[in-house]
Amino acid sequence: MQPDPHEFGRAAERLAVHYLQEQAYRIVAVNQRVGRGEIDIIARRGAVLAFVEVKARRTRTCGAPEDAVTARKCRQIARLAALWLGSHPRALAGVSDVRFDIIAIDAQQRPPRVRHLRAAFDGGA
Amino acid sequence: MLARVPSEALTGLDSHAVTVEADVVPAAPAFTIVGLPDAAVQESRERVRTAIVNSHYEFPSRRITVNLAPADVRKEGPSFDLPIALALLCAAGQSRCALDGAAAIGELGLDGAVRPVAGVLAVAQSARRRGLRALLVPAANSGEAALVTGLRVLPAATLREAAALLAGAPAAAAAGPDAVALLGGDAPTDTDLSDVLGQGRVKRVLEVAVAGAHNLLMVGPPGAGKTMLARRVPSIMPPLSVDESIDVTRVHSVAGVLPPGVALVVRRPFRAPHHTISAVGLVGGGATPRPGEVSLAHLGVLFLDEFPEFRVSALEGLRQPLEDGEVTISRALASLTFPARIMLVAAMNPCPCRSQLHRRTDTG
Repeated sequence: MQPDPHEFGRAAERLAVHYLQEQAYRIVAVNQRVGRGEIDIIARRGAVLAFVEVKARRTRTCGAPEDAVTARKCRQIARLAALWLGSHPRALAGVSDVRFDIIAIDAQQRPPRVRHLRAAFDGGA
Repeated sequence: MLARVPSEALTGLDSHAVTVEADVVPAAPAFTIVGLPDAAVQESRERVRTAIVNSHYEFPSRRITVNLAPADVRKEGPSFDLPIALALLCAAGQSRCALDGAAAIGELGLDGAVRPVAGVLAVAQSARRRGLRALLVPAANSGEAALVTGLRVLPAATLREAAALLAGAPAAAAAGPDAVALLGGDAPTDTDLSDVLGQGRVKRVLEVAVAGAHNLLMVGPPGAGKTMLARRVPSIMPPLSVDESIDVTRVHSVAGVLPPGVALVVRRPFRAPHHTISAVGLVGGGATPRPGEVSLAHLGVLFLDEFPEFRVSALEGLRQPLEDGEVTISRALASLTFPARIMLVAAMNPCPCRSQLHRRTDTG
């Protein structure tokens, strides 16, 4: 019997939040629903505002976790971020850089290995 | 923040002003180029991004909008890489635009190197005409640009160098080649008519043809020396004047056939296209028209070997340029005129029937 996949995802997000806090990020929002989508983590450190997508994998059989963030997913996150920024204009106060980050968690290793890919993608055109 | 860097865009042999504007704002990161860019300009985003990172600048994680104004003219080719990168660095506050009235052109390599582009001479002439004071060019193109007097030519080999120059770093303007010295020198060529032994009658005919600027058809069996003699026709033509030499250089530069390291074409061109050439290849053409062989042979010799093997459409296309000394090509996007003052030298084998009489009627 496999453990609950939703529980695995939530555990990965908790791990990512913990990691970001250790890296002196302030968590602005977690599992922020925007329209029909959801932004995993919004975090702030200094003048940087980061929209973070968390991807975790139990095994390596399907490739690295970050490979699961497809071009389509990137576009979706960029769109959600723009919507969120539109409804939270004060979130940009004092911000110079806005980033899209990926936190990739490899749960095959003990303890799980966390990698933070800063500015992993942009909104493109 | 907003930054502007003037640049230039080629259409045919002429160049016109383009302003590269970059705006960098803190918002969801994206990098867009607007202003009717073609595919090569769209790809410029990836070159600019990588070149900036590999030049040890920071690529801004902000929303970047680049506009190429005027927005109703189609922008082609990679020569906007350098001005886009410079405008972006200035807009992101990582460099300064301190040099007033300075334009920039150049292609970027992924390592931040500034690569040569086509048509720098025409660009420099246009920049001078519109009163710009300085022009940042790829180092490999600096000799060509420096042919234009009254314009400070600043050669840059890397993006870092270009940014430093734009920020006002002191630099010696590039010196152009001494056109008069280059043209005056009676440089020995490896294809001179005086090398030819015998063939007195043909040499006499060539001299008469060159003296009167007549076109010429040579008929003879394989091995008679038609090609060898044709190659030596430019050697008895008068040397190019400085203005003529600049005209030829401009055409060759725009067509991108100027050999690396050559700033000025000092010999009369000799073009010998293969007989399978298309009409467009011979007279010029394309969506935005480019010069053909007849224009690359401007002020020199266009040699058509195996004359009857050429396509009829290609040869028919030579009527107007031979008559007018220039060729006007009209396409949906532009109508352009290229110079085409040539001496046409054609060669062919006699008719296979071997009838002397037939040959005489053929060659009229």
